[in-house]
Amino acid sequence: MSAVDRRLELVAGPFRASWRAALGWSIAFVLMIVGTVAFWPAFRGSDVLQQGLGQMPAALLQAFGLEDFTSPAGYLKGGLYDVVIPLMFAAAGVMFASSATAGEEDAGRLELWLAQPVTRSAVLAGRIVAVLGWLGVVALVTLVSQLVSDAAFGLEIADARIVATVGLCTLLGGLYAAVAVAVAGLVGRPGLVLSTGLGLALVGYLVAALFPLSDVLAPWALISPWDWALGGEPLSEPTEPVRYVALAASTVALLAVGVVAFARRDVRSA
Amino acid sequence: MNTAIDSIGQLRETTTVPEAAIRISGLVKDYGRVRAVAGIDLEVRRGEVFGFLGPNGAGKTTTIRCLLDLLRPTAGRIEVLGLDPRRDGAAMRARLAYVPGELRLPERGTVDQLIASIGRVRGGFDRGRRDELAERLDVDLGRRLRELSSGNRRKVALLLAFLADVELLVLDEPTNGLDPLMQHEFLALVREARARGTTVFLSSHVLSEVQRAADRVAVLRAGQLVALGAVDAFRGRARQRVEAWFAGEPPAAELDGLPGLESRTLDGRRFSALVCGPIQPLLEVLGRHPVVSLVVEEPDLEETFLDLYAGTP
Repeated sequence: MSAVDRRLELVAGPFRASWRAALGWSIAFVLMIVGTVAFWPAFRGSDVLQQGLGQMPAALLQAFGLEDFTSPAGYLKGGLYDVVIPLMFAAAGVMFASSATAGEEDAGRLELWLAQPVTRSAVLAGRIVAVLGWLGVVALVTLVSQLVSDAAFGLEIADARIVATVGLCTLLGGLYAAVAVAVAGLVGRPGLVLSTGLGLALVGYLVAALFPLSDVLAPWALISPWDWALGGEPLSEPTEPVRYVALAASTVALLAVGVVAFARRDVRSA
Repeated sequence: MNTAIDSIGQLRETTTVPEAAIRISGLVKDYGRVRAVAGIDLEVRRGEVFGFLGPNGAGKTTTIRCLLDLLRPTAGRIEVLGLDPRRDGAAMRARLAYVPGELRLPERGTVDQLIASIGRVRGGFDRGRRDELAERLDVDLGRRLRELSSGNRRKVALLLAFLADVELLVLDEPTNGLDPLMQHEFLALVREARARGTTVFLSSHVLSEVQRAADRVAVLRAGQLVALGAVDAFRGRARQRVEAWFAGEPPAAELDGLPGLESRTLDGRRFSALVCGPIQPLLEVLGRHPVVSLVVEEPDLEETFLDLYAGTP
């Protein structure tokens, strides 16, 4: 038995505990993606739809990512990657993180591990790795189901654009998981962790979707992580590396806040 | 009065132990405005079984969670096995095992899987010892954790604690929910641990349990120590509730004349009282008359140590 076994167990335990949630999320992502892409053949080059959309206010189309619904990139953006998929990644990240940290603490189940010869930081770090691991698994499932559905239903888009977009959505989910970890580190109350994480995800979406519609607010859209992730139109344009860096760096910073705060406070009892 | 139970003020001067397993000085813990622990000074010697007595809500669990570094004291100093729980928490916990009072186990997996998992974190368990303990504590290793009753969960926690090869066992109300047979087995395990040189810090709200296992006892009330001394010193001090049923008319006059009885009640053929002090005079009276049934039991801790508690808020 070595220090490596010890660290591995602190990851493996919470990882095993979340497989049902991960399976549920994976199924949801697959259904969402296949269900949406399956209708592509019906929308491809549809004049009726294009005319219908043309009658709607441009601002509304922009807010819902529907400007170009009849091109492959526009269809995927409007149907999946403007709202639904990033929101699902954010929700999955927050929920994985909350249940592995504050949820377990609130239920009094963290104490068993914190009474072992490991530091609090190591216990929380193990849980963070498990959460990010499951997010990675869900991301892989999402990526594969997107690529396979695209091929199956004749939606032609470069694989690199899909990889980048799913990657950015995953990083966005990771960032909101890190928000959850930070709040869990500070207070350890699952209700507060969930509402803060999901609330900030929603606010982030609204800022990225609505601010660009106002001349005054438009420059401020970049305060939203959604803008960092998807503001560069990753389905149609190559993504600037700075977007990955911004998402990853703020995730690391938030995780550090969680770990440091958790090491300093009282652990709640059952 | 037995000199072993001194006031806490005197105690501080007299018991400076060089080899302390636990040393607590001036421990204060507030939860917001509520003071759960209000300045505790305590030393537990290496190799002893130390009873930490107090009614529910006295601050026992809070003190213990401070020892484990699950809580951060508001004031005061703690040393466990010569280490500072805050600074050297992991190293300290490698040398102790803990059974929490309010025990929650993971929802998934079996008992065996949990033991293996904790074993990996603790650096390995002896399988032979695991099987032996499982048999003695009547733990089914194949059972699913979520199906365990609270008594069975406690047995799993005890198994984990006694399985770890440690210098100190910190047990918070360890026999809660255990049947008498298992309580007996638990006391045997405590005695064996002590024989191996393990220090045992045992919290309880039941005096008799601590009396059977401990060398020394501290009594806590409302966050403060109200007594500390050798366990034998408490024996003559504790109240006992006695209930006797007479075959015929009870000897009312004789019972009335007995010293050291409180709350005397004579109800038909039934006599009950709280015995404070030697029980012998009462037994002599009972012996001279036909008694059908006799029950001697321990009242709750507040009643047991009424005189200890009288002076504290």
